Amino acid sequence: MKPVQLFCWHFMAYPYLDNDFDKKESSGWVTVPNRLWDNNRSRGLYQEYIDQLVYADQLGFDGMVLNEHHQNIYGLMPSPNLIAAALTQNTSRGKIVILGNLLPLHLNPMRVAEEYAMLDQMSNGRLIAGLAPGGGPETFNYDIPSANTREKFWEAADLIVRSWTEDGPFAHEGRYFPLRYVNLWPKPLQKPFPPVWIPGSRSPSTMTEVAKRGYCYFLSSRSHGGETHRAQQEFAAVLEKHGDRYHPFRFGILMSTYVAETDQQAREECEEGVWYFLKNCLKGHLRREGRQLTYGPGVPYIPAAAWREYLKGYKPGRKLLGDVENWEELDASQSIIVGSAETVTRRIQNLIEKAKVGNLLIQFQLGNMPDPLARKSMKLFAEQVAPALRHASLKQFREEYADFNIESSSAEALH
Amino acid sequence: MSGAIIDVCGRQVHILDSGSGDPLLYFHGFADVHSVKDSWLPFHEKLAARARLIAPAHPGCAQTDENKDIDTIEDVIFHYLEVLDALKLARFDLIGTCVGGWIAAELAVRHPEKIRKLVLIGAAGLFVPGALIGDVFMMAQPEFGYSYASLREMLFSSANAANALEMFPDGKGELEDEVRRYQMLRFTSRIGFKPPYFYHYALRSRLHRISSPTQIIWGETDKFVPCSHGEAYAKLISNAEIKIIGGAGHSVQLEKTDETAQSVLDFLAG
Repeated sequence: MKPVQLFCWHFMAYPYLDNDFDKKESSGWVTVPNRLWDNNRSRGLYQEYIDQLVYADQLGFDGMVLNEHHQNIYGLMPSPNLIAAALTQNTSRGKIVILGNLLPLHLNPMRVAEEYAMLDQMSNGRLIAGLAPGGGPETFNYDIPSANTREKFWEAADLIVRSWTEDGPFAHEGRYFPLRYVNLWPKPLQKPFPPVWIPGSRSPSTMTEVAKRGYCYFLSSRSHGGETHRAQQEFAAVLEKHGDRYHPFRFGILMSTYVAETDQQAREECEEGVWYFLKNCLKGHLRREGRQLTYGPGVPYIPAAAWREYLKGYKPGRKLLGDVENWEELDASQSIIVGSAETVTRRIQNLIEKAKVGNLLIQFQLGNMPDPLARKSMKLFAEQVAPALRHASLKQFREEYADFNIESSSAEALH
Repeated sequence: MSGAIIDVCGRQVHILDSGSGDPLLYFHGFADVHSVKDSWLPFHEKLAARARLIAPAHPGCAQTDENKDIDTIEDVIFHYLEVLDALKLARFDLIGTCVGGWIAAELAVRHPEKIRKLVLIGAAGLFVPGALIGDVFMMAQPEFGYSYASLREMLFSSANAANALEMFPDGKGELEDEVRRYQMLRFTSRIGFKPPYFYHYALRSRLHRISSPTQIIWGETDKFVPCSHGEAYAKLISNAEIKIIGGAGHSVQLEKTDETAQSVLDFLAG
């Protein structure tokens, strides 16, 4: 058994927006005008962000997390593989998690299989290969017809894994990606293949497909009230239905945190970055203000029957994470956990205890948070929070999964 | 449910069929029967008083089975050839609005002999430089989590028009109406989300095959398929007349029901 795995996630936000951005612009996504990009100020920005991830590796985090977004201020990584390539050269220990490459954006999924295989070789077998279908904004950016997206996604995902595991050349006879000569050079280093993580937002069909294939399910929600615990239970039930069993490393969550010397100081130091993140970066994604593109009738990728079920519980105009009006409301959402090492430890430990989650993917740099503050928070977390979380989670997992030989389970065998 | 279900090659197709007389086949658009309501709208009742009006719901709309093999407009046309076989319709009048107008035009260029008279209302389908067809999908994403004002603005002359508010209400309307709107977006996303956006570049050079008398009707301020598309259709179809209706947007059959219906009936009777 191993303790909770702590990863440092960087979204690489565009941090130079003026204070009146929210007032002037209707979205931070897809249509956010790129005249706002300031070359004078952004020189060196990627280096600053990459260095923060390298620092995470030095601090002993279990890995670094990257993801893919397009035409937005939330995440400046249209190609996370480029950043991952840089990390292979500057880090030596932690996993490199790409969560993930957006498969529908590729005409041919072999491109993803190839780049991931390269990254696995270049990183000496440290790649965790996330495969994702993309959300509403990418649908608009890349004109992805959404009705068959899911089916197409799984064909691509299966082809990628087959190309990693089966000797080529072979022919793939698929509905969407027929290929005469699948013959991957290079092959990935990890055997049988790099761990595959799939993000989802509690849809039973995604959980089922993940369970069938023995992959790790990553909950892409940013709020951690009762929902996280419920998602874990749902996924555990799906696994059992497929003759498998849940353990903490089949599941991952995204959270954000800021640690400082005291609760008061933590709030004071991070508040500007937090509000920048909530009001600017989430506008068009997780805010009702403006036009939210992430989910809705304009990106109709779920069948009509599933839409009917969704509508039954849907409350028009409901608040999303970015609509919180004050600190207390934000605090209650458990999306961004802010405080002293003691406070943060207690709250995250509580989350792990309830949600039995083994992979915590943690965002430290939020919005326009300055580099020194992000680094200080990461250091305090690594030195004063991580040890306690590891200790407690190891004890918990050993008790709750005592009869579980984690090393030989399907997901863990991939490491 | 109103209407009937017929079997077409093992697939279920939902059809509204009423009135008597010459068959008038109707392909629906967004603000239309099957897409917003389960039953005829006043426009259709006026047509059905003078002809046998037959309106199939597109694949995945109303109770018609979804067909995941529809990738292009060609696949839609083939579906309708099978529907025509099932209905034993050899020759008929054809009317299409919006996306249904595109389907009607594509059917007409392939089988001009089947069509006695053709009516296109606010029809998509053409590429007209400088006059892009609107992005109905982005407009269908609500603002402030509840407002469909910009969708109404695109599909009607004004977001606040009474019939626009009735067909596309803010917030959450009646559940089955919401599902119908979603189904239409899902069906059309198969043929209009990715480029080409609700058009077929080659259609322009095929329109000369249409031999039937054709009436083009357009709302003057159409913000989904600009009026210049109607002018292009009228120019490219040899036996076509165009009627532009003032004070109406894209959903001219709802916005100016009497005028539009009268125009269609006069044309069909003439």
